[in-house]
Amino acid sequence: MYKFMDDENGERQPAATDTAQTGEGLILMKNIWKTYQMGVEELHALRDVSFSVNKGEYLAIIGPSGSGKSTLMNLIGCLDSPTKGDYWINGNLVSTMTDDELARIRNKEIGFVFQTFNLLARATALHNVELPLIYAGMGSGERYEKAQAALASVELGDRVGHKPNELSGGQRQRVAIARALVNHPSILLADEPTGALDSKTSVEIMALFEKLHAEGNTIIIVTHEHEVAERAHRVITIRDGRIENDEKIK
Amino acid sequence: MNFSETLKLALSAIWAHKLRSFLTLLGMIIGVTAFMVVFSVLQGFNSYIDEKIAGIGSNTFTIQRFNFDDFKDSDTIAEAQRRNKELTLDDLEYIRARTQMISAIGAKAGGNGRTIRAGSNSMEGVTVDGAEPIIGEIEKIDVLKGRYFTQVENTNGLRVAFIGTDVEDKLFPRGDSLGQEITISGIPYRVIGVRVAKGTVFGRPMDSFVQLPLKTFGSNFGGFRGSRYLYFVGTSASDETFDAAVDEARTLMRLRRQLEPGEKDTFGIVTPDAISGLRDSIFGTTFIVILFVPTIALVVGAIVIMNIMLVAVTERTKEIGIRKSLGARQADILRQFLFEAGTLSAIGGLIGLILAELIGLVISHYLIPTVIPWYAAVIAIGVSAAVGVAAGLFPAWKAARLDPIEALRAD
Repeated sequence: MYKFMDDENGERQPAATDTAQTGEGLILMKNIWKTYQMGVEELHALRDVSFSVNKGEYLAIIGPSGSGKSTLMNLIGCLDSPTKGDYWINGNLVSTMTDDELARIRNKEIGFVFQTFNLLARATALHNVELPLIYAGMGSGERYEKAQAALASVELGDRVGHKPNELSGGQRQRVAIARALVNHPSILLADEPTGALDSKTSVEIMALFEKLHAEGNTIIIVTHEHEVAERAHRVITIRDGRIENDEKIK
Repeated sequence: MNFSETLKLALSAIWAHKLRSFLTLLGMIIGVTAFMVVFSVLQGFNSYIDEKIAGIGSNTFTIQRFNFDDFKDSDTIAEAQRRNKELTLDDLEYIRARTQMISAIGAKAGGNGRTIRAGSNSMEGVTVDGAEPIIGEIEKIDVLKGRYFTQVENTNGLRVAFIGTDVEDKLFPRGDSLGQEITISGIPYRVIGVRVAKGTVFGRPMDSFVQLPLKTFGSNFGGFRGSRYLYFVGTSASDETFDAAVDEARTLMRLRRQLEPGEKDTFGIVTPDAISGLRDSIFGTTFIVILFVPTIALVVGAIVIMNIMLVAVTERTKEIGIRKSLGARQADILRQFLFEAGTLSAIGGLIGLILAELIGLVISHYLIPTVIPWYAAVIAIGVSAAVGVAAGLFPAWKAARLDPIEALRAD
């Protein structure tokens, strides 16, 4: 049912299950269903979705609102579990995990970047970036070093003590990106990362994503904007809970 | 996240809503303050009485005409007045001749207020009573200067007086009372000694007295009748034999009064235990009732904390969502909110404790000394923190159980 992907060298990927076992495929979704019970009616947000993502890919998931792309993003980000189907991330079968196990996966494997930044308003940029490390159980000295370094890498090394309301939108999003990257996750998962930014800042942020991709990070951007999606190297189009199209564009 | 970090997080959340936190804590503060004030008064009162008992002599007992029980109501008083004869010096001789356990026993006569004069100075309402010389040893009377009576002075009814410091201060402002004359009802007495000051007991001055040898007192004031009733003070050789001495005194008195077995005593024996027992019976229940009221305040305080924590969870749903998306487990969120409730409440306890300490200082100054034992302070903080944690349990559980997607969607 699902498609096999060609990698950049044009070689055929092994079968999906093998991918998980060999660990080459970072993400593997196999026959994923997400069904919501609305009274007596069943609403299928995702219908039999299967795909895989390799390490180092730059992927955009695009679709109109109500297409199921948000549901898909929540599943990829381990914020939710599928009704049916198997989902592996970095060799972990997460579709059957408990809440606390999912929390650990979110902490170790996923770096979220949200449309509205989702920074803690009362905390400094540094503390915001430290949060994933705190929940990873890292000691304060090491944490400080890493958070400093992450902020420096997004060119905010001189703004560590600022609170979100003292930063511009672009700076806030860069803090959020630093926070997403600080724990060296398997994937950077961005949900409409430029949705709340002006066009000039959007360009900056997209350039930052390209830089991060060039440095070897695996990036998945969920968006409804074609301009954003076109920056990616591969685009998956979702409609009515199904993958309508999955193509490499670069 | 470790202890100090969770604590820091809790403090910053509390600090972010200073006024609200304070208002939330009012119930807790009032509860803890009221509780600690009542408790400190109770403690102060107890140690005050213990101290005074120790001052009287912890191993002395008193044989007197009436028992505490006789004062229950007017019927028992009337009955006791009919049955219980006044004690006599012959009773004392009877005991002295037969006792083996009582190491010393002496008679005193009840005093009443009289006017004392010395030269042109006079002092009204001074308690004048009589005592045998042995009382000085039994009651371990501390002599400030001069001496207590001798046996010779008592036997011969010499007109000598042992006085309290208030009397000396008033009548001999220069402090030279020794060897001087004081006059009571026109009869002169020579001052032979002054007792070390004892202060006041229940607001009554203890140093405004003149004590005369028992025989002198009896012959100059018209015998040991009415308010000048005789009573005996006894002691044992050691604390171990004290109860045996009291038992023996009772047995001897019953023999002397020829009471049948099972018949009620026609006299009273007062021991330090009886005094503290009386205190407990009067104040024990009262204080339990009084302590119940602050407990209600604590419960109300806990409900307020639970309410405000529910508000906090709702307000910070987004924060919870963010934390969960970054890898916070349910236990992390639960701990964060429990800590916040506990810390909030412990701060209330601390403020309450400080207030209670201040009120205690005022009470100590004007009424009776109050004491907040260190363990009570620790318990107050501990209990308020525990109350806070208990109150925070449900809100924290709600927060921990939030669905991360729903939580992230919140404003």
